[in-house]
Amino acid sequence: MALAQQVQLQREPGARTDFARRVTGSPALQLVGRRLLTAIPVLLGVTFLTFVVMNLIPGNPAQLILGINASPSAIAKLDAQLGLNHPFWDRYWIWLDGLLHGNLGIAYSNQQSVNSDIAQFLPTTCWLLLYTLVASLTLGIIVAVLAARKPNGIFDRISLAVSMIGLSVAPYALALVLIYVFSVRLGWFPTISNSLGDNPLTAIRALTLPAAAIGFPLFAIYTRLLRADIVEQMQREDYIVTAKAKGVSPWRVLVRHATRNSLFTLITLVALNLGTLIGAVAIIEPIFSLPGIGAELISAININDLPLIEGIVVVFALVTVAGNLLADLLYTVLDPRIRYGRAAS
Amino acid sequence: MAAQLPDMAATLTPDAQQPLPSLVSSRRLKWQKTARALRLWVPAGFLLLLLFLCFVWPYIYSIPPGNSGSILDASEPPFSPGHWLGTDPNGVDLFSMLVYGGQVSFEISLAVTAFGAIVGGTIGLTAGYFGGWTDSVLSRIVDVLIAFPALVLVLAVAEVLQPSETHLIWALSFFSVPVFARITRGSVLTIRTLPFITAARLTGTSNRKIIFKHVLPNVLPSVVTFSLLGIGLIVILEGAVDFLGLGIQIPQPSWGAMIAKGQNVLTAEPQYVLIPSIVLLIFVMSLNLLGDALRERWGVR
Amino acid sequence: MSPVVSTDNALLEVEDLRVAFAVGGREVRAVDGVTYKVEAGRTLAIIGESGSGKTVGCRAIMGLLPTGTEISGSARLRGTELIGLSDGQLRKHRGSEMAMVFQDPARSLNPTMRVGKQITEAITTHRKVSKSDARDQAIELLRLVRIPAPERRFHEYPHQLSGGMRQRVVIAMALACRPKLLIADEATTALDVTTQAQIMELLLELQQELDMALIFISHDLGLAASYADEVVVMYAGKIVEQAPAKRLFGAGGTVKMRYTRALLDAIPHLERPAHTDLPVVTGRPPDPTMLPVGCSFAPRCPSAADDCTAKAPALTEHAPGHRWACWHPCENGGTA
Repeated sequence: MALAQQVQLQREPGARTDFARRVTGSPALQLVGRRLLTAIPVLLGVTFLTFVVMNLIPGNPAQLILGINASPSAIAKLDAQLGLNHPFWDRYWIWLDGLLHGNLGIAYSNQQSVNSDIAQFLPTTCWLLLYTLVASLTLGIIVAVLAARKPNGIFDRISLAVSMIGLSVAPYALALVLIYVFSVRLGWFPTISNSLGDNPLTAIRALTLPAAAIGFPLFAIYTRLLRADIVEQMQREDYIVTAKAKGVSPWRVLVRHATRNSLFTLITLVALNLGTLIGAVAIIEPIFSLPGIGAELISAININDLPLIEGIVVVFALVTVAGNLLADLLYTVLDPRIRYGRAAS
Repeated sequence: MAAQLPDMAATLTPDAQQPLPSLVSSRRLKWQKTARALRLWVPAGFLLLLLFLCFVWPYIYSIPPGNSGSILDASEPPFSPGHWLGTDPNGVDLFSMLVYGGQVSFEISLAVTAFGAIVGGTIGLTAGYFGGWTDSVLSRIVDVLIAFPALVLVLAVAEVLQPSETHLIWALSFFSVPVFARITRGSVLTIRTLPFITAARLTGTSNRKIIFKHVLPNVLPSVVTFSLLGIGLIVILEGAVDFLGLGIQIPQPSWGAMIAKGQNVLTAEPQYVLIPSIVLLIFVMSLNLLGDALRERWGVR
Repeated sequence: MSPVVSTDNALLEVEDLRVAFAVGGREVRAVDGVTYKVEAGRTLAIIGESGSGKTVGCRAIMGLLPTGTEISGSARLRGTELIGLSDGQLRKHRGSEMAMVFQDPARSLNPTMRVGKQITEAITTHRKVSKSDARDQAIELLRLVRIPAPERRFHEYPHQLSGGMRQRVVIAMALACRPKLLIADEATTALDVTTQAQIMELLLELQQELDMALIFISHDLGLAASYADEVVVMYAGKIVEQAPAKRLFGAGGTVKMRYTRALLDAIPHLERPAHTDLPVVTGRPPDPTMLPVGCSFAPRCPSAADDCTAKAPALTEHAPGHRWACWHPCENGGTA
């Protein structure tokens, strides 16, 4: 809160209650509350859909586990044990209940809790995602600002061409090409990494190529949009002309005024693409043999381990919803128009 | 007085009467025009070429089958006689694999995009135009579907249904329908607030008429340009499913499966990965470039 | 180019200014040979419809047009030639010696930057002052433009202020370095009538206090009549009439140009009998990419004759201090 406002509050005793009223009635908090409320049915819907889809798979899971030659009594016993003989809604409720308590069930394949399975593989994926996001965002912002400096200049045209390739390339194809160039030919990075190693350097070496494969298309999206937004601000917005009319240097106009306001769009974009980012791990991790949940999902699919698939899919979806929510909140907090609302003037 | 003036004016300031010479070079103007046309027709041309090669060429000129080959022809390099791009380790002709795989990719992506545009578009249109409870309910459902990362969603559905081309189309539609719904809804929301729509409603025009005569024509450009982008996305997504072996099954050729198989011999013979990857890249890039050019033409944001 | 005698105390002298750019493969001549001058302490009004080139001309002088615009001619600010200077050189003058106030205060201010910061930015761009000094100066400026409680306003965001106050803030920003020339580009168009009058009064008071030259651009001839010393009327990129305000308006006013006459007639008066048609100018401004050969106003002029469409009349000083470009000007300033 601004210094002047604080000072003023201390001077005017009645203002303190006014402040309290302003905070609870503040449009920002109301917006936040509303978004949280709408997120709940979505989260419920996500769990429901996952459960429904997974349970539509034909065939008896108990039989799948025990094999073709299993006796009917053994199957029936396992059925009861797994709770598969209960009606659909009961099973959903049990699963949901477990979910809300953080328990995702037991995997068929190794009889371990899905939780521990996910927990084992989640860190690698998190590191990968973090690396990818930070790298693609940083590069994206830098390139976009430099390109917007001189629209249709040489740097701009090159960056647009590179972005176009990034937008059009398939991440798995890119991954293989990267492996061929940087791993096979140049030997800079390992081809497969069964673990991240014990120090940051090995981790970075292991994660760079996968991060590049996922990050290049993302970088392309960020650059393109941010550059377009900045250029539009610079060319169409009146406050930019005002800033220039004041004699402010072009760099400062570009960075302090235009880019600052374009970052809102970027945040929204990052949130929207969270799904793409997260989903990509499912295909990139197996290529590099990275021990992450994406690879785990694929192997779970290959052995039809339903609870595991369910658990991972739900986690993916919940994280995406949470990410979108976070972005909304961030937007609200950063935009002073929403934060401060209209004061009586 | 009026009769004298023209002469006086002529002697005092002779230049002011003729139109002043052009400041902007005509060369720049001409280049702007050609560049614009090129941006549209070059990618369109590439697309037409690819379509031609996949759907017309095999019927004019006989090419080897894409799903079988003689082991005697194994691993022929590109530009070998009878095999333009060579053969894979099993002797299957690479060019044919690309052609037949391309057919499948085109069909699937077109079907999925069309389905998404029509069904998703309708949902988005309804939600965006009518608002209120309709919007709330429909949007929540769409949100639920969009919450799943695309690949994960498609894999999950493909897992439930047995792998086949039709089932793949269903699975991919789980992704395309909500995305189109979102896009159209956003578009409709923007248009709905425009004054001319309010004017139409005030004059008592029926909702149906407003939708078909006013809203739809304004939503169409953005839907069409997004569709082009969407086809590219679907092709990549479908390729991913094939890559993982959960989509189109061998021996049916598909670009994704080709790239996956090429993985095994990447070190020694990278062309099995590179060639289908490049073709895929060209295809998607042409779609994106064409979409961009159309967006420029039609003034879509 | 006809020689123009430069007066000693002319602050801004514009000579044969031309601005053109390429749009969609065609050339747009936004400003087609414009000449005028303004002295310190005097007010010049540039009047015209949208598309007449009035805004583009002033932005060209300030150097605020996008790259790719072709500008030629001369604009001398206190003897310094501005046209042809690089952006870096122009920036030294921009905001310090010459400043501009724009039309829509809701959009001219950065919505995510506090008002005070935007003013101090104007100061620190040209002067080396400490942060607290800049802050004090900014608050003084807010006081100068008659904003109540300036210390509080300093920390607020633009959306927290009313329209009139925002425009005052924009004026404060423009005056930050005590410019010698202030250009107000439709500065009051976006405001309601009462606020409009207040802002105009403010501008004139400030002009007196700071001995500035003021150019205000508008489509409102009434404003020109009330506040200007000298008036320039533009149409389709050219000046069509130019005279001291006293000569054009008021009793015995001698408006020569059909266009100016039409603009004046279109202002509703209380004395006019009720329920009579408002004499508006028919037609629309010409397409700037396809200007007609003769007089640009001819297609819309009620007294256009053959010579009007054949040759464009030149802007000539037919009477002392009064120039116009017309083959068939009005007689006696009446509706002839």
